[in-house]
Amino acid sequence: MASLGNIPQNEKSKSFDIVETYNRLLHEDPEITMPVAAIEALIELLVQSSADTVYEFLDLVKTQSDYLKSRIPNSISLSAGTDLFQRYMISSMKPTSTGDFETVRQHLLSNGRLFVSRAKAARERIAAYGRHFVRDGSVVLTHGGSRVVGTLLGKAAEASKTGGNVRFKVIYVMNEARSAESKAVVSLLRAKGVPVATISEGAVGYAMGKVNLVIVGAEGVVENGGIISRLGTYQIALLAKAAGKPFYVAAESHKFVRLYPLGQYDLGIDQQVIEFETEDKKELTDDERKFADRTPTEEYFGSVDLPKPNAAVDAVDFTPPALVSALITETGVLTPSAVSEELISMWY
Amino acid sequence: MPSSDPPTIAEPAPAESLAATQAKPQGKNGGAKPVIAQDAPATGDSKLSNAELKKQAKAEKAARRQQALAEKQSGAPQIIVAAAPGTQQKGEAQKGGKGQHKRGASTSMDARSLPVRGAPAVPAIPAAPKKEDKTVEFFRHLYKQRTTSIAGASKEVHPAVLALGLQMSNYTICGSCARLVATLQAFKRVIESYSTPRGYSLTRHLTSHVLSPQIEYLSSCRPMSISMGNAIRWLKLEVSKVDISTPDSEAKKDLCDAIDRFIQERVTFADQVIAKSAADKIRDGDVIMTFAKSSIVQRSLVEAHQAGKKFRVIVVDSRPLHEGKHLAAALATLGLDVKYCLINGLSHNIQDVTKVMLGAHAMMSNGRLFSRVGTALVAMEANEADKPVLVLCETIKFTERVALDSIVHNEIAPADELVIPGGPLEKWGDVKKLQLCNPMFDVTPAEYIQMIVTESGNVPPTSVPVLHRLGNESQ
Repeated sequence: MASLGNIPQNEKSKSFDIVETYNRLLHEDPEITMPVAAIEALIELLVQSSADTVYEFLDLVKTQSDYLKSRIPNSISLSAGTDLFQRYMISSMKPTSTGDFETVRQHLLSNGRLFVSRAKAARERIAAYGRHFVRDGSVVLTHGGSRVVGTLLGKAAEASKTGGNVRFKVIYVMNEARSAESKAVVSLLRAKGVPVATISEGAVGYAMGKVNLVIVGAEGVVENGGIISRLGTYQIALLAKAAGKPFYVAAESHKFVRLYPLGQYDLGIDQQVIEFETEDKKELTDDERKFADRTPTEEYFGSVDLPKPNAAVDAVDFTPPALVSALITETGVLTPSAVSEELISMWY
Repeated sequence: MPSSDPPTIAEPAPAESLAATQAKPQGKNGGAKPVIAQDAPATGDSKLSNAELKKQAKAEKAARRQQALAEKQSGAPQIIVAAAPGTQQKGEAQKGGKGQHKRGASTSMDARSLPVRGAPAVPAIPAAPKKEDKTVEFFRHLYKQRTTSIAGASKEVHPAVLALGLQMSNYTICGSCARLVATLQAFKRVIESYSTPRGYSLTRHLTSHVLSPQIEYLSSCRPMSISMGNAIRWLKLEVSKVDISTPDSEAKKDLCDAIDRFIQERVTFADQVIAKSAADKIRDGDVIMTFAKSSIVQRSLVEAHQAGKKFRVIVVDSRPLHEGKHLAAALATLGLDVKYCLINGLSHNIQDVTKVMLGAHAMMSNGRLFSRVGTALVAMEANEADKPVLVLCETIKFTERVALDSIVHNEIAPADELVIPGGPLEKWGDVKKLQLCNPMFDVTPAEYIQMIVTESGNVPPTSVPVLHRLGNESQ
């Protein structure tokens, strides 16, 4: 068959640690998102595995994905990536199921890398679609450390430099648990010349009257068009709906996850957000505080033992589709009900 | 000229007035003349003078008008046959008829009913009092007489289908899927016992000459469910795809196999998948509310119970069918913790509920749920109390139709089913201006439904047309 010179065929599959690879990828590339990191980790698995048949490989991918999900506290987002990769593998393997596995593997590899590069470009396309939502003189409310939203607002701000068209202000909701990340986002926006006001989470209702639109990012988009994102998004969405302000979500399409929650407590992950205790909490150790204070670029420290899964810093909540006005993805602007149709067309 | 006045319409007792008006000319004329059709046709009578003839004609006209009115209001136009009259009377009859047409405003004389000449029935007055229309105005387009016995069925109806029709009309077989499966099984028997007559081909003859009478008969027993409609459309398509050159026995066997596979895929297997997905959604400590009896909801609850989950069930039920009783009994026998209440206990019980699971008769393309009457109430209450509503529905029940209300498309069951023997409504037919309305289905708006569990996955109500297109129309 064709030469396989580029792909190192080594016997390291046994010592391949997917969790370590995943963390390393996240650490190395600050621009990468969790689902894409998961996919890249799986591609490396593909490279290094010694599976000879299609089904053996599919099985390997499934077990490794499950293992990865169990080890990472907030697994909803990366499960979007693993599910997508499995789906993609199954669909690309079908026509060549009787063919040579090596060609299939090559095909997967090249397409996988293409996918990753496309995913990175997705952020730019979302920014291109979304910046028109930010009109001259408008006030945008946002929160969290979403890089998509950052790119979107950055692009909207840039237009003002060249033609002086869009002048807008941002109200940013600070997160006490992640103050370093919040500060970084605010600084970035101010550097682009955008006036930013920081408010605490308690002031969102108060500030909603001055807001024209709300834009947030998401960690996952669920089957009915609702989103899973940083804790605090749900209450902002509720307040926006009550005040009649549009609520937009900027998310890449690889974040669509096959989950259908019926409520906050149906997410399938154990979040210890509400803990009833009769004794006061002990002080955080240095390591724990450092972890709690981390910025997005230093997401995971391999050496530190992760504290309890989904402590308040990591916690997510679910925003139902009725509160979402539109989702800005790289395939266009979708209504929440269109998400289900996209998923059906992908998975049916 | 003492002539009868044109009778006013909607006179509750036309009989009396007619008799009165007819008595008048009699009296005034001195009573000697045989007046009106009260007497036998005046074949043997002496010749009447012209004036008296005129009088007679007018009186007869009035009588005919009365009868036409009575017919119109009883809603059963009778065909009146003209008695064999003499030429004289014929001439007058024609005159009378013409006169009647002139007075067309008061009665609408059907072209069918010919002027009656001396028919004894007319003047003696319709013996039966005018019957009140007991159908409800909004649903009048849905009233249909149900066939309740096999007498009078067309000879082409297969005995299996006859039996099935009876079972459906008295609710022995009740429920969208049960009826679907039973219908297909009956059609299998029809196909097995079918033999193509000489000069015809199976593909062209079977559908129109054999299946259609069966379908008509079944519809007359009880209107078709939407899933049955989908299945029959599929079956007709399968029949049309049969190759003209295949021998009959092979074609029939293929069709029967296809039907088996269809049931296996769209019902049996679908139910398995749905029951498993729904059972997965049930957590320990849940309180599940359901309405009436849905076979798929029952199956899911049983499966969750067998998986060891600890939960309670509240069954809400309503008259007249009381289907929820069977569900509650079945679940309690298996050891589930069941609470049974009627629909008036809904608002009280909704507070403890964590999830509501409902069955469906059909899902419409605008995301609305078409299900047993009362379901919409349950969904609405659940919405008010912020409880999630799950609908368990196979894709065979999806339809491209759109429902905006519960009136345009529904099924009206006989009103007598609502009457409790010995209760206050027993003689409801005699009570004036009282109508009993017994709709069988209602429509639940899409915004009250959070999730539909189908064999193709969990979808929001807005995705119904997509799945319908993929599942039911892709062939």
